[in-house]
Amino acid sequence: MLRKLLKHEFRATGRIMLPMYLVLLATAVGSNLSGRWMIGSRFSAVSILGVLIVTAFGFAIFGVLLMSFVLMIQRFYKNLLQDEGYLMFTLPVSVHQHIWSKLIVSAVWFITTVLAVIGASLIVAYQGGFLREMLDFLRYFFQGLQKLKITEALNGTVYLVELFILVFLAMAAFSLQFYAALAAGHSQPNHKMLWSVGCFFGFQAVLQFSGTMLLIGLTRLDLFRYLKFDWDPTPAVAIHVGLLMSIGCVVIYGAIFYAVTTFFLKRHLNLE
Amino acid sequence: MSVLECKELCKRYGRTAALEGLSFTVEPGRIVGLLGPNGSGKTTLIKLANGLLTPDAGYISVCDMAPGRESRSLVSYLPERTAIPLWMSAAQLLDFYGDFYADFRRDAAEEMLGHLNIHPRQVIKQMSKGTREKVQLIMVMSRAAKLYLLDEPIGGVDPATRDYILSTIIGNYNPEAAVVISTHLIADVEKVLDEVIFINQGQVMLQSSVDQIREEKGMSVDALFREVFKC
Repeated sequence: MLRKLLKHEFRATGRIMLPMYLVLLATAVGSNLSGRWMIGSRFSAVSILGVLIVTAFGFAIFGVLLMSFVLMIQRFYKNLLQDEGYLMFTLPVSVHQHIWSKLIVSAVWFITTVLAVIGASLIVAYQGGFLREMLDFLRYFFQGLQKLKITEALNGTVYLVELFILVFLAMAAFSLQFYAALAAGHSQPNHKMLWSVGCFFGFQAVLQFSGTMLLIGLTRLDLFRYLKFDWDPTPAVAIHVGLLMSIGCVVIYGAIFYAVTTFFLKRHLNLE
Repeated sequence: MSVLECKELCKRYGRTAALEGLSFTVEPGRIVGLLGPNGSGKTTLIKLANGLLTPDAGYISVCDMAPGRESRSLVSYLPERTAIPLWMSAAQLLDFYGDFYADFRRDAAEEMLGHLNIHPRQVIKQMSKGTREKVQLIMVMSRAAKLYLLDEPIGGVDPATRDYILSTIIGNYNPEAAVVISTHLIADVEKVLDEVIFINQGQVMLQSSVDQIREEKGMSVDALFREVFKC
């Protein structure tokens, strides 16, 4: 059933995101042409048009980034907590599947949007010889990699993987904080959106307070001395440990909000 | 086996009791009118049967199951509001129902949409409010469910549309299933009902077959309702 939910979720969101990407692509191509032929033209109207196209590209980047964020909240709110919720929550699927479908689709659009913006920026920067320069850069890059020791290369690859996992999980956890606030706020009989905003900032305050207290507590405790554990890692290992601990923290942060979201959707759903 | 069963069912919204010790059963093959004035607890009861709310006390079961993921595949629910996604086309809506419900009869739905001259590519948002409600009803009645829960299916529509809705219900429901129609527009639905449950202030005031009311009381369901709920 999750696969079917994903199919319809992509259908619902794709109709908004795909045209946005098309606009981004069109303005990127336009900006490239503007940079080459229009801006600085002796005809001021052409030059102004070129500037406008480049400005439109800037707005398109802003728009596509904003839309992927807005869509993450709007789909959860409208599809589950508004009138459509009567249809969605009477499907033979679990609350967990609903949440995962929203999370996965949001994360996919976040990542696609970042890739689309990078791609569009490359289109804008493209000039005669650009491809050759890119290939040269990649060749030097890989030649540099060959000079690395196996441990350095391995470490670098693992850093990238860890960083990617961290960013992905952080996006999902951040989405879950919004979902939890919306689900908690909409369990109230009145002023549901106001309650949701209040819950979001309430969660944020609790999170920051408990995080700060935990840090202070750990610092004062001087855990390594207490455990009589003599640990003096190399910088490479310390980075791994740091990244893995960050991943662990993000997982806990996400799990808390996942639990809050499921609790309210399962036990205190209160559709208008 | 009863299709819908409630025992001492209670539900409160804050300090206000919506249902207070409600008990009744609905058997398969019956069309039951869940009748009561506004605020009597009809919608709350239907939401509980769909698992959209959780009871505070008592017990509710659908086909001997507590409302949940499994029971939802047996229940076809028409909410009071238009819940179908407005951005979808009629064809996408057919895909949606077909994907999630194994008992969805796509051919029956397409035939009914055809009678309304609704093109598969037509987007729900572009339809009038009345047409949207008809489309939603078509989707609900195109399922071969065990229990149909229809919340105010004829509320807020013109008399011609009421007739269309009632004929769609009668012409398409699974005869082995039970149909529960919640409404306060009794005169319009009376002709299709086998049985009625009068509900007021969260309690069952009467459960009887329509024939029994006519024979024993010598009056129509509408007349009895007016007498029972006289202000």
